[in-house]
Amino acid sequence: MTKERLKYALILPMALLCLEACIEPFEATFPDFESAIVIEATLTDELERQTVFITRTFEFEEDGPLPESNASVQVVAGSETHTFVATAPGIYVSEQAFSAQPNVTYQLRIGTQDGRTYISREMTLPASTQMDDVTVERMTNDDGVEGVAILVDSFDSTGSSVNYRYEYEETYKIIAPFWRPNDLEKVPPAEQTELCEVRVIPDTRSEETCYATDISNAIIQTSTTNLSEDRVDNFMVRFIPRDNYIISHRYSILIKQFVQSNAAYTFYETLNQFSGNESLFSETQPGFLEGNVFSEQSRDEKVLGYFEVASVSKRRIFFNYDDLFPGEDLPPYTDPCIINAPPLSKPGQPPRCVLSSQVELGLVGYVDANGSPGLGEGPYLIVPNVCGDCSEIGNPEPPEFWIE
Amino acid sequence: MKKAFVVAMLFVGMQYIVAQEIPKISVSFSNVAVSEALDEIESKTDYRFYYVKSWLDDIRVTGNFQDMQVSLILDDLFKDTILNFYIADDNKIYLLQNNQIYDALPDDFFGKEEQVADDEPSYDDLQDYGPLFVNSEEDGANRGIQVVKIGKENRNNRRRTFTLTGKVTNSRNGKPIPDLAIIVEGKDIGTSTNANGNYSLQLPIGENIIQTRGLGIQESKTKVILYNDGIYNFQLNESFEVLDEVVVQGNLDRNVETALTGVTLIEVEKIKNIPLVLGERDILKAAITLPGITTAGEGAAGYNVRGGRTDQNLILLDNGVIYNPAHFFGIFSAINPFSTGAAEIYKGNIPAEFGGRLSSVFDITTKDGNTQKFSGEASIGPVTSNIVLETPVVKDKSALLVGGRATYSDWILRTLDDEQLNNSTASFFDIVAKYNHTIDDKNEIKATGYFSQDKFSITSDSIFDYSNRLVSLKWDHKFSEKTTGSLILSNSEYKFGIEFDGESNDDFDLGYKNNETEFKIKMKYLHSPKHKFDFGISSKLYQVNPGDIVPLGADSDVSALTIPEERGLESAAFISDSYEVNDKLLIDLGLRYSFYAALGASQQRIYQDNAPKNSGTLVETQDFDSNEVIETYGGPELRLSARYFLAPDFSVKASLNNAYQYIHTLSNNTTVSPTDTWKLSDINIKPQEAYQASLGLYKNFEGNKYELSLEGYYKKQKNLLDYKVGAQLLLNEAIETEVLQGDGKAYGVEFLLKKNEGKLNGWLGYTYSRSFVKLDSPFNEERVNGGAFFPSNYDKPHDISVVANYKFTRRFSASANFVYQTGRPVTFPIGSFSFNNSEFVFYSDRNKFRIPDYYRLDLSFNMEGNHKIKKFAHSFWSFSIYNVLGRNNPYSVFFVTQDGDIKAYQSSIFSIPVPTITYNFKF
Repeated sequence: MTKERLKYALILPMALLCLEACIEPFEATFPDFESAIVIEATLTDELERQTVFITRTFEFEEDGPLPESNASVQVVAGSETHTFVATAPGIYVSEQAFSAQPNVTYQLRIGTQDGRTYISREMTLPASTQMDDVTVERMTNDDGVEGVAILVDSFDSTGSSVNYRYEYEETYKIIAPFWRPNDLEKVPPAEQTELCEVRVIPDTRSEETCYATDISNAIIQTSTTNLSEDRVDNFMVRFIPRDNYIISHRYSILIKQFVQSNAAYTFYETLNQFSGNESLFSETQPGFLEGNVFSEQSRDEKVLGYFEVASVSKRRIFFNYDDLFPGEDLPPYTDPCIINAPPLSKPGQPPRCVLSSQVELGLVGYVDANGSPGLGEGPYLIVPNVCGDCSEIGNPEPPEFWIE
Repeated sequence: MKKAFVVAMLFVGMQYIVAQEIPKISVSFSNVAVSEALDEIESKTDYRFYYVKSWLDDIRVTGNFQDMQVSLILDDLFKDTILNFYIADDNKIYLLQNNQIYDALPDDFFGKEEQVADDEPSYDDLQDYGPLFVNSEEDGANRGIQVVKIGKENRNNRRRTFTLTGKVTNSRNGKPIPDLAIIVEGKDIGTSTNANGNYSLQLPIGENIIQTRGLGIQESKTKVILYNDGIYNFQLNESFEVLDEVVVQGNLDRNVETALTGVTLIEVEKIKNIPLVLGERDILKAAITLPGITTAGEGAAGYNVRGGRTDQNLILLDNGVIYNPAHFFGIFSAINPFSTGAAEIYKGNIPAEFGGRLSSVFDITTKDGNTQKFSGEASIGPVTSNIVLETPVVKDKSALLVGGRATYSDWILRTLDDEQLNNSTASFFDIVAKYNHTIDDKNEIKATGYFSQDKFSITSDSIFDYSNRLVSLKWDHKFSEKTTGSLILSNSEYKFGIEFDGESNDDFDLGYKNNETEFKIKMKYLHSPKHKFDFGISSKLYQVNPGDIVPLGADSDVSALTIPEERGLESAAFISDSYEVNDKLLIDLGLRYSFYAALGASQQRIYQDNAPKNSGTLVETQDFDSNEVIETYGGPELRLSARYFLAPDFSVKASLNNAYQYIHTLSNNTTVSPTDTWKLSDINIKPQEAYQASLGLYKNFEGNKYELSLEGYYKKQKNLLDYKVGAQLLLNEAIETEVLQGDGKAYGVEFLLKKNEGKLNGWLGYTYSRSFVKLDSPFNEERVNGGAFFPSNYDKPHDISVVANYKFTRRFSASANFVYQTGRPVTFPIGSFSFNNSEFVFYSDRNKFRIPDYYRLDLSFNMEGNHKIKKFAHSFWSFSIYNVLGRNNPYSVFFVTQDGDIKAYQSSIFSIPVPTITYNFKF
């Protein structure tokens, strides 16, 4: 914690010295790309089919990692061996559900299809601590932004947990602000009474209410090393600015608290540090971040990632926008939803259909008839589809855990 | 000046009285002392004589006067002396040496003055006929030089030039010095001595600054006030006899003459015209325009000297150590330029009296205060203002200098619109005071106090500050003509603190401090013309408080933690002999033995042999009592250098030296950061060591107008500190588990061409240098880049600097400064990977790539205030543009993961031209 704070404190008032942007983005390429194996696994003390992800590094221009297929994956737990099978490229799931037990050593063994083998250090399960509470609070953060903070309290009276890492899954209800019972349809050529005709029909495809789920994609950690007791107090796991539409109606968050070993904590912390904001004047010396998995063939082969054994504690909360901002305006919807009335066609040889093409492609939603069309306007008021149909960004079915 | 004018005014109204009838007497003298003659006159008249007795010594007079006015008698008596006299109305007769008292102003006095005020000052104009006024205000460069008055001022003088003749001899052996250049400063007059050391010069009446220059002879400057033809004999020192004074005075022959390699002198007066950033004249910034001294980037604190780490420089201000000589993270240096006299930078062979750092010594001296009169200097710049005042305490004996500098950046930040910056503060100041007291011709005392502080708060919840404090005391004593000694006591402290006051339960106040106290005796013994010895002892106690943290506020759960104090004692004995083997060969042989003891109380962790140091390999913890010796290190250090004259103005020099360093910075940043702490050597952390050999050729052209030097070096280092990737260094009790120690090697060639005088002056430097580090170990976690040598963070092979000044007139000048450097090495990612639902970049070999090359051009235009004679202050305007080309020089590149995606950024400090206007004045 201290270190993160320090880092933050050292970002300097460069507006004084930097009369123009001192920090600017640039198009990067990796001059010397190296393909390396990446291992990500967190065995937990929850009884489940445990997962190991194996991918390879990728170049800057590429979209995502290349999965490592056809690998053999095993976790040796004391005298037992758990075998993993591929359920999707690069995703290996244990054949049987199992939970990590205290005082047992776990070692990951991987054999890839090119004949190389990798082995992890032997890891053990750290102490387990239940979260005491997850609360939500309306507040203004350090940057002066108003919003909602999700805060965690946790306490280990034995003082042995110390290192905490968090993940979350947030699920929120979406209500399309311009959902209407009617929809538009392109009139088939045979029935057309005029060129590019569009007609109003009952809406059978759009959804008014949906649910979407996002998974955390940041490394969120805190440590009680420097505190007099092993107490996490109001630690902010998630902050949502109040202008984010996801808190507009009802919102739920599942917080997972992992207790990490010192080594795992340091690994995640350093990884985070390498990818965080830099102070202009002092740059952390980057380098190869060694994990706990190694090649059995070559000392110099770079193996990325970490095989972690962690205890987990989960807690879910719900809240409504009204609970925190009673009677106040909703945050803006994800789209500004500008109402438009495009003409049916634009003159030309031959004339070009405007509204019917948009309708055909499902880009727009019907709002109302255009009572008094202006010059160049068409007969219907429309909005971008997402404003009338939330299924574009969510699922109409509420998740199983959802409570209204 | 003013005084002379007042005196003249006083007598304007008296002419009439003086012209009244005057008594006549008859006297006769035969070879009697003047004083006796004057007594005789006093007895016969009502006149009373006033004079300084020593003026009349050895003057005997002869003459027979019948019924004559006293004034005529005196005219005759004094005709062959330099004495003048003035008869006041109350029958007092004032005797004067050299000059005359005028009881009337010259006819055109006022008219002329007006004309002069608009124009360049010229003694010739003013002193065409009539009285000679001497400007009693000294400018900085010539303050304190010897003043001699030559000849007797003649009331009826019509001549504008006189002849000065004399002989130059060696003060040590009385032998004449032939071929010595004698030059009149600021005038196109010069000559040289003949085989017998004799010279003759035609000089304008009045004040002339006469410089002497010659190979092997210490440069001298004498202010000669010429009233008439006369004789002046110079007695000069050989230059090596006063090596450390040479340093201060900047002997023009040092380039070829001294035995030391890699020495650089920076005089504050000379850097006045170098273009400035944000209006700060800066001695350390000037240093980096010279070969061999670089920083990691602009705005980076810390200096890398000849491929050394930033913690290997001993930065001394009046013998006290300054640990962080930077303000605002290195944008400004913390040394007040107005109070600074000169900085001597040793980057090659470091004299034996200095030790404890491997790469260099920056020996910065504060000016002595003006013992004559109250004076000062001030500047107003866009970000800082600065004032230095000097005042005599006991006239001619002691003086106090006080300097202060502060920024108003706080105020600037507050006026900005940005809400976040509005709440920020960033302020700094430094103050310096020096007292110098000449007790008698054998004893002199100098005391210096210095304090600098930086404070800033960027986010609303944290305040960061750091400060340097030092006190030093020096007593110089002359035991005999041959033996002098100095006793030096100094104490310095560096500390920083962070206060954090946020929303959660982790508010804290964190502090770091180190303190050192040094006692040093150094002696100089001029044994014989061939041998000059310097020797002495020193001892230094370090006390480091590596960090403590306390909870801030009642709600904070932060537990107080104090990393125990570390103590160490570094002692040394040193001796060096400057041995002049023959006319051509000078050897400077220095030996230093340094000894370090890490002292308790302490807990030391012992790790398994042949295993990486980590919590898993910890064997035991040993306890040491207070002042118990934990571990000792030490060894002999050789400081050997030699100079050989290939020709009188062409020499070759070589040196060999080594050093130990027992205190190290802990930093996991690529550049210096103010949260870097210093760590003493202990059981687990060995001292750093360096070995350097250098060889150079030095040539002066056209009577030292041009200096050329070419110097090469090779350096090996051992036990350099480095850190594991992602090391946690602050508040870590087991710091050795994060530290790596490895080897370094550096080599380079430095070329410097300097033009010291003329309308166009300046220098051109080019350096080719490399610097490598190797971190190898049988254990992967202690190995970097596969255990091979890799370029250090400050390895910049090509470095070109040009500093040029052009004087249009005495008042207007322009300067330019151009820098080109190879981009510094960076660790660039070699791929991305997906982890924890995010993308990250991964790094492999350290420093395999470089940021783009750095270049920058700065220009400045300087205007001196006019040289009005009666003006209260001398002013100096400087208008400069930093980075005229607007080159966006990248300082670093970094990769940030935001919302799961990687974004690449580059940062730069001054990416556009930065104009600055500064006003300086001196009084």
